[in-house]
Amino acid sequence: MEGKVIVITSGKGGVGKTTATASIGAALALEENRVVVVDMDIGLRNLDVVMGLENRIVFTVVDAVNGVCDIKQAAIKDRRIKDLYLIPASQSDNKDVLEAEGMIKLCGELRKQFDYVIIDCPAGIEKGFQNAVAAVDEAIVLCTPEVSAVRDADRIIGLLYARSITPKLIINRIIPQMVERGDMLSHDDVVEVLSIELLGLVPLDENVVVSTNTGIPAVLQKNSPAGEAFQRIAKRINGDVDLPFEIPRTNRGLWKKLAQKIGMRRRGA
Amino acid sequence: MKDEKRPVRLKGVGDSLWVSIDPTQSIETLKQELITVFQRLGHLTIQAKVVLDLEDADGNYDSLILDIRTFLKETYNVASVLENDKKAKTEKKAPPPLPDWDKKWKSKKSDVLFIAGRIRSGQRINARRHLVVLGDVNPGGEAMAGGDIIVLGSLKGKAVAGQPNNHDAIILALDFKPTQVQIGMNVAVGIDTDAPQTAEFARVEGDNIIVEEYMQANPFAKLHWPQAR
Ligand SMILES: Nc1ncnc2c1ncn2[C@@H]1O[C@H](COP(=O)(O)OP(=O)(O)OP(=O)(O)O)[C@@H](O)[C@H]1O
Ligand SMILES: [Mg+2]
Repeated sequence: MEGKVIVITSGKGGVGKTTATASIGAALALEENRVVVVDMDIGLRNLDVVMGLENRIVFTVVDAVNGVCDIKQAAIKDRRIKDLYLIPASQSDNKDVLEAEGMIKLCGELRKQFDYVIIDCPAGIEKGFQNAVAAVDEAIVLCTPEVSAVRDADRIIGLLYARSITPKLIINRIIPQMVERGDMLSHDDVVEVLSIELLGLVPLDENVVVSTNTGIPAVLQKNSPAGEAFQRIAKRINGDVDLPFEIPRTNRGLWKKLAQKIGMRRRGA
Repeated sequence: MKDEKRPVRLKGVGDSLWVSIDPTQSIETLKQELITVFQRLGHLTIQAKVVLDLEDADGNYDSLILDIRTFLKETYNVASVLENDKKAKTEKKAPPPLPDWDKKWKSKKSDVLFIAGRIRSGQRINARRHLVVLGDVNPGGEAMAGGDIIVLGSLKGKAVAGQPNNHDAIILALDFKPTQVQIGMNVAVGIDTDAPQTAEFARVEGDNIIVEEYMQANPFAKLHWPQAR
């Protein structure tokens, strides 16, 4: 069976695409899938650092597309998680070096060797975005509960629909205290505007910063709310569609379980 | 007052705009007069077919017609400007039938862009005349129309009605929370987004845009006859 190519995109920069790519990739691999994460943020590579693999880079995605090396050479094996690989971006090129055809060919080959191909998309809607989405089967739009991030996510959603891709939504960096005070958009506000299927809600979590700096993925850390949220997202991607959503809450740092499904199902609210 | 014949007169509005001009006048005078007539027509001039009637004037006015054509196309966005041919001119014109107000809407061809869906950030829907959206207009999305804009959903983006200068146009939404509205040349911003969900509409009064609850004002219920818009 052929694997799935999934892009993680946002429009706006710095909302957590790279963090999400690394976390979801790791979580899917922990569930016994063969996973490769591909850094398409050419010229501003990050994913290797977040995964703690930067000193192993020999070849990059540009080399793989241009046939300088084969996929086996470009894909770096993760140090901790079996069946997780990284194809890094190149730091010296810029986003114009690749063409959509090259990406389509590369993704075609990756599909044969992996169950999931997760692409870390650069910010923006220009060539880098277009290359990153050229060959995808599914798209995940990442958004933070900020008006500007919602605006950009909405733009990206329109562009994805124009390519016949139906995106799903992750809301990242939710701060429950602020939502409860009314100082931050709630996930309902965001879903109401974006009106696409919700895949998960991720709270702001200090552990993410620690994991970014140590290269240990948040999904491997104990008591990391963001790590747990990404694990549930991976389960949903992996087919567990009935997994209930957990809304980030403040009470004693615990997350209240919610039996009901939220988001798109609201009716007559 | 003396019944002086004006150098430019509008003779009829139907499938096309019939404008009679006196070609012996200077192009400046004619342009001035055309502006007066066309300004009044507002959005009706957009993509309109214009027929110029030179009346009984003798001589060749081809270059004059060329000038007027460029002027009208550039200024009022008309579709075409033709000279009325002589044959038609000699025919005796039948007096226009009296309008039957009760049935007048029947002869009106629909001129509405009716769409369903969500207008997202960065998208713009442009209707030549009226626009009906069965859905929402998101922040950053834009609905534009030569006439009215009706949103059967939430209007949270920008709505630009009555382009370029139809100040009779309205903007109506079941949930009226636009970031900005324009009607003709009037612009209004900063509409309260915490307001409850009610059907409201915007219209021009003087130089201002007024927003009112639709069912309370129910403005068109005051018309005596159903009219085509
Ligand atoms: N849930 C979270 N809790 C706390 N910090 C987070 C969370 N998600 C992301 N961050 C932090 O936000 C910053 C930006 O994240 P990241 O680099 O993943 O964003 P990005 O969308 O990939 O940015 P770019 O557009 O520059 O590629 C990082 O410092 C990361 O550690
Ligand atoms: Mg990144």
